[in-house]
Amino acid sequence: MSEHRLRIDPAGTPRATVLIVPPLFEEANRTRRTLVLAMRALSAEGSAAVLSDLPGQNESLVPLVEVNLDRWQDALAEVVSGIDGPTIIASFRGGALIDHKAKAKAWWRLAPVGGASLLRTLMRARVSADREAGVASSLESLQDEAKTAPLLLAGNRLSPAMIAQLGASEAQVVEPLRSVGLGADGIVGTPLWLRAEPGEDAAMAAAIAADISAWSKTCGIS
Amino acid sequence: MGSGIEGICPFRVEERKLTDNSSVDATLRALLADVLGLGEDRAAALTEDSGLFGELPEFDSMAVATVLTEMEDRLGILIDDDEIDGEIFETYGNLLAFSLRKVTD
Repeated sequence: MSEHRLRIDPAGTPRATVLIVPPLFEEANRTRRTLVLAMRALSAEGSAAVLSDLPGQNESLVPLVEVNLDRWQDALAEVVSGIDGPTIIASFRGGALIDHKAKAKAWWRLAPVGGASLLRTLMRARVSADREAGVASSLESLQDEAKTAPLLLAGNRLSPAMIAQLGASEAQVVEPLRSVGLGADGIVGTPLWLRAEPGEDAAMAAAIAADISAWSKTCGIS
Repeated sequence: MGSGIEGICPFRVEERKLTDNSSVDATLRALLADVLGLGEDRAAALTEDSGLFGELPEFDSMAVATVLTEMEDRLGILIDDDEIDGEIFETYGNLLAFSLRKVTD
């Protein structure tokens, strides 16, 4: 099933297509606006930019409980195989956990994070919400529960397979790769993906687009 | 985004302690600014008595979870479930005291 796709084209023939792989779960909502601003900046610099819904997220008709990281990796590989011309994958945070199966010309990652850390935060949110509701739960009790049944974590119903994969997932080696963090020697901006309420950062979006464009040119994509 | 912990070499033990305390304080303020979107001014204006959970509307259960994971990453500590009670997030002073205790553990 084809998922909803946001595509922003440049004025002429695109020199390349940048596939944006957003952070996972709630972090995707917090960063979406800034990522789309970066897509606009990329198109202004001559690239096409694509942001595809992952199965089970946003406009997808697939129930989230039916997906796992493997399926997301396959879905991204399929998106890339349908793109004409060279594709650069730009992944953010947990997006870096699912970007390696796709056949891209180059990879760019911002602030990649391990799956265990994402899972720990999701589980903690559940423990904290349970506590407010007067229910006793712990990271251990949730881990046990997740072995046999789906778990509702911060609004996401995740299957045992998804939880097991997340807990063990690390960003995989890809080539060529530019991996950057936030800060003076990377992208200047704020970690919007942590923000309790969604924000936006136009300067950061411009910096992201400029860095991706400059890096892809050094990879011979022009 | 640095950890806020600078690699300086102090002359005396007391001075080093002070540096550690103030760098934990700076790290914690930066972290709350990042998660709660406080902005530098509001983060700098937090005092020991400033209320957090229940006081700041942005501070919901997801924000608590995010703060805990970021504290682990940025302060290099591990936080167990049973160490967390409501009091830690009551005020900035409580959260700072908890962090300093964990860092020196």
